[in-house]
Amino acid sequence: MKERGCAIAVIEAEGLVKEYERGVRALNGIDLSVEEGEIFGFLGQNGSGKSTTIRILTTLLAPTAGGGRIAGLDIRRDAGRVRERIGVALQEAGLDDLQTGAELLLLQGRLYGMGGAQVRRRVAELLELVDLAGDAERPIRTYSGGMKRRLDLASALIHAPSIVFLDEPTTGLDPIARDTIWRYIERLNQEDRVTFFLTTQYLEEADRLAHRIAILDAGEIVAEGSPAELKAEIGTDVVTVQVAAPEDARRAAEVARGLAGVADVRVTENSAAVYVADGGAAVARIVRLLDDAAAPFTSITLAQPTLDDVFLRATGHYLQVDDAGEERAD
Amino acid sequence: MRTARATYYLVLRALRESVRQPEVELPNLLIPLFFLAVIIGAINQIAPDAFGVTNYTGFQVPVAMTQAVAGVAAVSGIVIVMDIERGYFDKLLLTPAPRVALLLSRLLADAVRSMVISAVILPIGLAIGSPLETGVAGAVVLLLLMGAFGAAYSGIGMAISLRSGNPQAAQLGVLLFFPLLFLSPAFTPIDVFEPWMRAVAEVNPVTYLLGGMRSLILEGWDAADLAYAVAAVAGLGAVTATLAMLALRFRAR
Repeated sequence: MKERGCAIAVIEAEGLVKEYERGVRALNGIDLSVEEGEIFGFLGQNGSGKSTTIRILTTLLAPTAGGGRIAGLDIRRDAGRVRERIGVALQEAGLDDLQTGAELLLLQGRLYGMGGAQVRRRVAELLELVDLAGDAERPIRTYSGGMKRRLDLASALIHAPSIVFLDEPTTGLDPIARDTIWRYIERLNQEDRVTFFLTTQYLEEADRLAHRIAILDAGEIVAEGSPAELKAEIGTDVVTVQVAAPEDARRAAEVARGLAGVADVRVTENSAAVYVADGGAAVARIVRLLDDAAAPFTSITLAQPTLDDVFLRATGHYLQVDDAGEERAD
Repeated sequence: MRTARATYYLVLRALRESVRQPEVELPNLLIPLFFLAVIIGAINQIAPDAFGVTNYTGFQVPVAMTQAVAGVAAVSGIVIVMDIERGYFDKLLLTPAPRVALLLSRLLADAVRSMVISAVILPIGLAIGSPLETGVAGAVVLLLLMGAFGAAYSGIGMAISLRSGNPQAAQLGVLLFFPLLFLSPAFTPIDVFEPWMRAVAEVNPVTYLLGGMRSLILEGWDAADLAYAVAAVAGLGAVTATLAMLALRFRAR
């Protein structure tokens, strides 16, 4: 599914620092490199600096220090030419509710300097791609959230860019709409070799789409690699002890730490994740130890490491998503 | 060329948005007409003896037009804040279109909208008793003046909106017009003002704008009055456009 055959770095950042007013430091020296044809996933909790990174790389925001290049062009000195090369869909589907879907795309194309017949052909093509051809003449205000996201994606693709930035492209969408967007991204990546830089709060999304992932925490990249590499780095099974109260999680962790072969234990509000070789054998021993210590727990599960575990190991907390699509740390 | 092309398409978008929101445009027409009616109703009888204005309707029509245009122009600031809030402004900034086109398009669209609303008020004024001493040519000049004033005034709302990105602050664009209007000879000639009020009115561009419009309506062609009006609008426009450009640079940094 996720083939890679790339060598040229088309998105580069070196020592990106961003300090907002009152000394709030959103980015603390980000270095990254994304190769042509790659889907690069940028994972992090709310406020970790994902959107700031995207806004800097897409020329919307000036960095306090450091710099970057897109397709070899400097994001500060060649901002205009960078904008010609990239497509961007930001976190808020930036649409004008009073226009129809077709009008929005036509205007977008014309602002990219596309001519009459060319832009009309491209608009028809994109509306087909995102399954909005039948709704093209409806005002955008009548679109559902999923339709707006699809239109936003189409508008980012109007000038057929080879590099596309997507800031949480599926946040707030239902699973079907999310899957539809994923298929578009995969198709464009595989058929047209479009490079994607996408931030996401869905680990499943990163796992499915991204060739490579960077985990961002408090403005710093704390882990980077392919999903398989990152999971393999954990090198153990994960036994998760679910508990009813935070003090029980701490108690369970203390108990588990006494077990031979435990590589690490991470505590969250309602669980203790025990990283241990041969998890199958460890489960019985953990249960016994917990019983002996009269440490209460509600359930115990054994699993291979997931990106969730990778995230927990890298940041010390799980990435959670609430109904409104907001991220929060456990 | 690139700027002109982008500006053209963005003007079309702004005008389309205006046509699709009559509920936003209508108050800008109805409120000035209401004030026109009640002010004429209250003062018309005493105007000739009190301050020597024989056709008070003609004296007030420029006030109604100016008030309507200020309302129309202030809407742009509010629309820009809405664009900022829903992320559409970022989408426009992300295109390679010259950023000055984002501003120019709004100014030009406001000029057109201002001329349209003025073209509705002027015939109503004529129907209720205002003269138009300069005839059709004067009407065209009046509309052009209103277009220029609309563009100049919309710079205020845009500067506030782009700098603040705040819908409440954007409303200031509407409210700021009232001191400008009340500190001008909007309701009585400047000759009857107290000295302090006269001093303030003499540095108020609206004073000269109303003077030029009134000369076209009540007196006939007067080059000096027209020149003052054009200069006042140009001066206001230079200041507001500069402020709006600085605010855009802040927003698009």
